Amino acid sequence: MVPGRQRPRLNNLNLQLNRGERVALLGASGAGKSTLLAVANGLIKPACGDVYWNGEKASSGKRRQRQQARIGTLWQDLRLVEELSVQQSLNCGRLAVWPWPLVLLNLFMPLETRACANVLSEVELDPVLLAVPVKQLSGGQRQRVALARLLRQGAELLLADEPLAQLDPPLAARLLQLLLELGAAPRSLLLSLHRPDLVQGFDRVIGLRNGELLFDGNPKSLSSELINDLYAQT
Amino acid sequence: MQAKFAPVFGLLLPALVFLPLLAFMPFEIHGGGWGLIANFFGAALRPSLTPSLLATAFSGIAITLAVALWSWLLSLLIGIAAGLLSAPTVSQAFFGCRWPADLLRRVLALPRSLHELLWGLILLQGLGLQPVVAVIAIAIPYGALVARVVCDQLESLPQEPFRALRVAGVPSPAALLTALGPSLLPGVLSYGGYRLECALRSATLLGVFGLGGVGADLRLSLQSLQFHEAWTSLWALALLMFLLEQGIALLRRRWWQPGAVVGQRGRELLLLFVLLLLLLFPAAQLLDLQWQVLLGPWHWPMDQQIFQWQAWQQPWPKLVGSTLLLTVIAALAAFAAAPLLLLLFSPWALMQPLLRGLGLIARLLPPPLTALLLLFVFKPGLLPAALALAFHNAGILGRLFLEGLEAQDPRPEQALLVAGVSSRKALLMARFNGLAAGYLAYGAYRADVILRETVVVGLVGAGGLGVVLLEALSSFAWADVLPVLVVYALLTLIGEELATRYRSFLLHKHPQKEGGAPTRLQLLAKPMLERA
Repeated sequence: MVPGRQRPRLNNLNLQLNRGERVALLGASGAGKSTLLAVANGLIKPACGDVYWNGEKASSGKRRQRQQARIGTLWQDLRLVEELSVQQSLNCGRLAVWPWPLVLLNLFMPLETRACANVLSEVELDPVLLAVPVKQLSGGQRQRVALARLLRQGAELLLADEPLAQLDPPLAARLLQLLLELGAAPRSLLLSLHRPDLVQGFDRVIGLRNGELLFDGNPKSLSSELINDLYAQT
Repeated sequence: MQAKFAPVFGLLLPALVFLPLLAFMPFEIHGGGWGLIANFFGAALRPSLTPSLLATAFSGIAITLAVALWSWLLSLLIGIAAGLLSAPTVSQAFFGCRWPADLLRRVLALPRSLHELLWGLILLQGLGLQPVVAVIAIAIPYGALVARVVCDQLESLPQEPFRALRVAGVPSPAALLTALGPSLLPGVLSYGGYRLECALRSATLLGVFGLGGVGADLRLSLQSLQFHEAWTSLWALALLMFLLEQGIALLRRRWWQPGAVVGQRGRELLLLFVLLLLLLFPAAQLLDLQWQVLLGPWHWPMDQQIFQWQAWQQPWPKLVGSTLLLTVIAALAAFAAAPLLLLLFSPWALMQPLLRGLGLIARLLPPPLTALLLLFVFKPGLLPAALALAFHNAGILGRLFLEGLEAQDPRPEQALLVAGVSSRKALLMARFNGLAAGYLAYGAYRADVILRETVVVGLVGAGGLGVVLLEALSSFAWADVLPVLVVYALLTLIGEELATRYRSFLLHKHPQKEGGAPTRLQLLAKPMLERA
């Protein structure tokens, strides 16, 4: 049950994600995919039930902040700070662990150029973009900068909420490939998708319907009957 | 284009002004009046509630409100008419050329360059102690200010719909009204509401200098150390200011909600206008406004020569230097106060209402009275004057800053919080960065206002042009008044030009997001006439 909602958005759900696993989350609109991701990253605190991270219960305060710093979310709307340069934006990934002097210095003189250039290269962007303001980037570039910020954060679990929804097919295919590469061990990846035909590169597929688990298994076992069930109106 | 400094850096840098201020403070404190300061704040909890004093406070507030209402309405009428006439689009449509608009805009810079207190003191000499003096003194500079904003708003609207109607053969007035009127109205209404709050503050300030109302009561109470009485007026003023601010905010929200349509807004606007008109009659009766005094005779001292060469031989560098120093210190401190306090206290939910309350007190206490209070512990000089100006303006800037923050997109901040970033750092990196350019642009405008306001704290010995001007005015030395007025006006005109250029540069570099209801910060931060 999500606070403030009339009916439970997630119900009787018991899931465990293992290190190195790349998991696709399928379901119709309103099935609870975004809610599950929001519970995982701590944006929503469930009214009942618990979330564990590395065997440790998700708590509040400083300890929760430390747990959250190891989870990176690629938002559908990216949520980058438009006014910053790419390098400052990438360094936002370090804010949780940086002391205040470094936070302030980064505003004046962007720090750790080499580390920023490395993560930019990892997402196949030219490090020459480091000094460019985020608002001057194209849509595809911004998406990669958002992804690079998660790498800069040192996230062990990557969460992505329909990151391919607004991209044209070639761009979507390239980003999915990149996410699958970056989400491989030692990291993990939980990604919500609206297209069942894209799940083949994943290690595991989870299907949600009306907030409940419909199936959980290997992508190869995803039959057309299951897909029909998943998107069937109730 | 390469970016090096994050915009928020410019928002934090002015806070460095607190270092020298704190360093010099111990040398400027005489330490005699801490008890008085404690008594003043202690009296806040026990305002005098005797019936006669309550009646006096009520009457003072009513007079101030009446002055504010009349001056506000007049300034809106003058401002909207002059604003439209000084817009090149209108001039081009009616006269086929833009020079009349350019000329009028330059002429309007002059009444704007003098603070309402100076207008009040000048008119007082010519007309004597009349309530109409306070009304006109506020209406003149306010009218010119409203004209600037109306013109700016009109010129920043997309002109294509207007041109399309003109090409279709629609006459100019109808095309202007239809194509630009509805888009212009929200900005004008929002700014108009803000000007009413400003008019209330100015009416209180003029009262401090002898033009009646709650300002006069406050000054008398403070000078005679009757703090319980002062707090009766202050709480009444605070209540009025609070109701006014909330009422205006309510109307803003109501008129800008997504479903609001022009027709519904128009009907409500008409109703409000009728209500205001009904209020104006008792207000005029209360003030005993005698408009005919404006027709003369004016009592200018004709026995003196207005131009005397010796009067122009002043130590200008020193006078201008102290005025600018006072402006810079007060502007930087006022600008930095809200972001700094918010950053320091943001994790504590209880501090927000406390800071809002402090901001309300800062806005309603006129700077000369704050300066008087500061004199209980500070030696007369630049520091109490700068602190008084900074306190008052921090209240105004702080409110716009908070409004702007609330209107910011919450999602980037949320993304940082979810990534384990502390609330302070997330606030700084996301919301502050988003707001920085607009707030800096408004800060430039406010610095320009503070330069005009330096005159009102002249009485605490801050030095500068304000003191000389007040002395010359109070001793009827017109030959001395003229050069200082000219230099003052020149200085404020240069300040205005620099502030406008800086704002243009900032907003060009960091364009503000469009869409939704414009916050007052966005409206006020907009520079004038950027049109090519």
